Amino acid sequence: MSESLDALELRIAELRAQVRRAVKARDNTLARSLRGDLRRAEQAWDRAVGAGEPESPQEREAPLLPVREQVHQALALLGVPSAVRMIVAVNDAFFSGALRGPQLTSLRRDEERSFRGDPYARPYYLCAALTDRLSPARGLLADSTWEPERRVLGPLSPRVDFLVSAMRVADRLVRMTDPPQGARRLLRRMAQNIPGAVEGLAPADPETTIRAARAELEVHHAADVAQRAEVAARAGRQLSDAERLFGAVALSTLRGAS
Amino acid sequence: MNGRLDRLRGPVPSRPHDARAIAALAANPGCARRALLDAAGVDKDRTARHLGFPAPFGQSQFAITRGNSFETVVKENGCAELLRLLRELLKLPVAEVGYQDVESVGAHLRHSHTRALVDRAAREDGPAVFYDHPLLSLRIAGHVCYLEPDVVAFQVEGRFHIVEIKSFSVIDGQAEPRKVAAAARQAAVYVLALRALLADLGHAEERVSHEVVLVCPENFANQPTAALVDVRRQLAVLRRQLTRLTRVDTLLDGLPEGLTFDLAPGQDGVPTRPAGEVAEALSRVPARYAPDCLSTCDMCMFCRDEARESGATDLLGRQVRDELGGVSSVAEALGLAEGTLEPAEGQEEIARLLRLAERLREECLR
Amino acid sequence: MSALTALARLRAIRDGVAQPITTVRHCHVAPQPMVFVPLALSGEAAAPLAAMIGTDPGHPRLLVVPQPRNRDLRFAFTAELAEVVLPYVEGFRKDTETVERRGGEPYERCLEAPQILVPNRQGAAFVGLLGRSTRFRRIDGPYPVHPSVPLLGRWLTYFADRSQQPGSCLLMAATEALGLHWATGQSGLEDANLATLVSWIDPPAGMTGAQAALEAEDPLLWPPAGPVTDPGFDNEVLAPAVHAYEEAPTEHSVERIAQALRTQLDPTWRLMWRAVELLRALPEGTRVRERWETDRGSFTRFTERLAEGGPPQARRDGAVGAAARLAGLERARASYDVQRAYDDPLVMAEYRLTGEAFAGTVTAADPEHTEGEGRSRKLRPLVTVTTADPVRQAPGTVVGSPDRRGHAAEIVEISGDEGVEAVEVVLKIVKGMGRGKSPTPGSVPEIGERVTYTSLTDDFQSSAALPDPELTPWTHGGPPQEYVPSDEDAQEEWS
Repeated sequence: MSESLDALELRIAELRAQVRRAVKARDNTLARSLRGDLRRAEQAWDRAVGAGEPESPQEREAPLLPVREQVHQALALLGVPSAVRMIVAVNDAFFSGALRGPQLTSLRRDEERSFRGDPYARPYYLCAALTDRLSPARGLLADSTWEPERRVLGPLSPRVDFLVSAMRVADRLVRMTDPPQGARRLLRRMAQNIPGAVEGLAPADPETTIRAARAELEVHHAADVAQRAEVAARAGRQLSDAERLFGAVALSTLRGAS
Repeated sequence: MNGRLDRLRGPVPSRPHDARAIAALAANPGCARRALLDAAGVDKDRTARHLGFPAPFGQSQFAITRGNSFETVVKENGCAELLRLLRELLKLPVAEVGYQDVESVGAHLRHSHTRALVDRAAREDGPAVFYDHPLLSLRIAGHVCYLEPDVVAFQVEGRFHIVEIKSFSVIDGQAEPRKVAAAARQAAVYVLALRALLADLGHAEERVSHEVVLVCPENFANQPTAALVDVRRQLAVLRRQLTRLTRVDTLLDGLPEGLTFDLAPGQDGVPTRPAGEVAEALSRVPARYAPDCLSTCDMCMFCRDEARESGATDLLGRQVRDELGGVSSVAEALGLAEGTLEPAEGQEEIARLLRLAERLREECLR
Repeated sequence: MSALTALARLRAIRDGVAQPITTVRHCHVAPQPMVFVPLALSGEAAAPLAAMIGTDPGHPRLLVVPQPRNRDLRFAFTAELAEVVLPYVEGFRKDTETVERRGGEPYERCLEAPQILVPNRQGAAFVGLLGRSTRFRRIDGPYPVHPSVPLLGRWLTYFADRSQQPGSCLLMAATEALGLHWATGQSGLEDANLATLVSWIDPPAGMTGAQAALEAEDPLLWPPAGPVTDPGFDNEVLAPAVHAYEEAPTEHSVERIAQALRTQLDPTWRLMWRAVELLRALPEGTRVRERWETDRGSFTRFTERLAEGGPPQARRDGAVGAAARLAGLERARASYDVQRAYDDPLVMAEYRLTGEAFAGTVTAADPEHTEGEGRSRKLRPLVTVTTADPVRQAPGTVVGSPDRRGHAAEIVEISGDEGVEAVEVVLKIVKGMGRGKSPTPGSVPEIGERVTYTSLTDDFQSSAALPDPELTPWTHGGPPQEYVPSDEDAQEEWS
């Protein structure tokens, strides 16, 4: 038993060296086949070493809601098109905490496929935000039930949306009697990028954050509304239903989402 | 001239340079071999591997992941972190928050879109302050290289700035000088390319600041911090080296007409030309090997081996060469030291020093 | 780098093996040093990945962080590291000696001090980073750590700071210690690779140093000595293992990572002990002991500072502190260079080459020579030294000699042509020959004796006139505030 383990370890070490030599020589075909051998050897080692002790079944609590509903929940809180990292952070801070970035990688594509197959069959779709060129913005998710102006972006929108989301996170904190640590940390992280929202290392005060964000928002608001209205109007004129939700490029993938 | 360069490379597409490669051009300006290989767009990495001397470079996926995730932190939420830094560092007015992702157009349009946006911004009717994922270009020895900065160009008070995001840490206000220098060299390439673009559009080059914004994580967290880095010197070195590259004709003079570094790849892309023949061809163009090449040039192991075979004092580095008064061969220097070789004219002084050194060593180690 | 070392490197190329550039050892090697080989995660500032550590070559302790991005696991690692380092360091505190000093209170000094050996300069820098990232942590509050963690941080910071001091041996990088004594046939840049350096110095049987060094460059045979790991290892071995751990953080997946990291650390561990043996085999220079005494004194003071409950070292020096530190380092550098020359004729030869020292044979002597009349009549023995060295000193220069302690002479006259064994230097001895009418026996070199004289002296140079820290001028920020670590220090994120 231990002999075969030794032999396996020797073989694993040899294979690793061979793989690395192949990689160094950029021999991809060889490297791939060697990696296959290596994985098999490692599995054999795993089996050999673990023989006798029962493999403990992976304990992972099943999330209560499907992924798309958890995303929807976070988006509803944020109220603006948001990046995957922000959605995961909000889920962590206020909800189940079971959402993982990689689960969202193909979400937008799945939603688009579903919509194109059977339009408006679902009460909402997790869709794209559209750039001023009417293409889907990289890495952002939006809610199809939002009014079109909210789902398009002008040059000022990323900042405006950040300020709005910070206000909404703060607002949620105001209404909680005992907000969780994670939620306060999230607010702090956001608040330190808003002038006047937080001082030094002190925890962020939600009311102050709202005031500070609103003050900066005043500066951008009018111009952003006008630019968004223009883009939304163009989208309304030029795009099909599906494109209005998922963007004007046929192949829309959620890039840079991890 | 381009015809000759194409023949040197052989019937494969010219290898495009990225910013790092262009920055490295300035690393060893005296090396004719590197200048010629780069001018001809030869794939040095592939050549070195075929010769049996792969470069000892590699990038850990942990470092790549770390770099990407830090870049995301800096740019997410409409560049919220970057805005904070620039408001602190350059007093960027609060209204200046416009953001434009140049990558929102198809890949083939990115360069022209960048041009159009930069032109509008230079005429000061562009809505945005930040341009994310711009695609710039630079002509290197007759070939256009596209540069894909993972950086953001932005303008404040009518001047464009390059932002370089690096994931090495600044700890208590200090970063590794070597890494800062490399970042500055790379950023200088982007400054040069953006200046070229402005000049091409009929705007003043000086609208691109020679100060780049270097953004790095602070201490041990992911929190970004920023500093201005003056890249005037790097720009000057780069300009000089690029001008040299356009004068490769002088390097081509005196090379045999039929000379080529073609690897003659077969159907499957595997080189068919005997490595010995390629090495023979390369040996016609002198290299100037220095130990620094070990971190900057794909050909380093080949050239080091060549220097070793020929007994060149270059192997030991500049400092040693300087001590040896420029004597270029190991055997010659030892001959002078041991008195078996008569000093040539002009070598009397160094010969005297080496003989004394030899006598002292003998005396002390007896 | 001097012509002498350059010549040694050329010889190394020709002979295929490293050449000695000293005749004695200039660093202290403790009877029981602690070897520490740390590995860090690529791309991170100070994320420990693993370490091999211990004082027994046969029994290294392997510490591993199965997921280096997890801060709890990192602090668990530092707590484990503290378990190894702190007992070792604190073990030297108990036994002390009383040192008397002229014009001062006697003080206590530890009889021995710890010595930590890391593979290279980056290893030493990593010790500093690890110290920096742990010394401000608190044992209570939002991110509590084990009490040993901040203490370890202060020690590591101390060791890293001390390693900046020329001649200090409390924390040494093996490549630097070896490079001090041997010249290889490769560049200084390549000497930073411990495996190739040792190959040049001590190649395996049947191989030249050059061949062995070439082989040692293969990261598959000789993994890098850290703290950065080989990218090929990261991508092909470590990443899948860490991934498996994330999928199922079982004991078994931790063991898999530990196994993988052991393969990267084991070769360096063995190299480190070979380096220790190579250094031990050299005879120790005379003044190494004195410098080690200074190290012991410094170590003792730091243990006292800890015992008194002083705050952790500041993040940055104040203006005066920084200037004083710099001046101190410069003094230490100068003094260390002189000490090595006095200890070692081969190091002294560097100064003979530049004319700052000369060696030769005494060809004439007038030991009873006097100057002045009556009461002011003084004994001033004269000796004439014939040398083939270039003498670049002017008459009137005061010179010392490594042959006799407390001996000093003044150059009176230089005559003859250099280079043809014909320069004659007349010296007047001004110190070290006693106060009697005739010189103390043995204090004046005799005819036929080989002697060396140099203008280098290790006089204690008074420190630059810097104000006390409390008197820092306002132009330099005013008096520094006592460094009180803040909440910010303690809660500093560690992602």
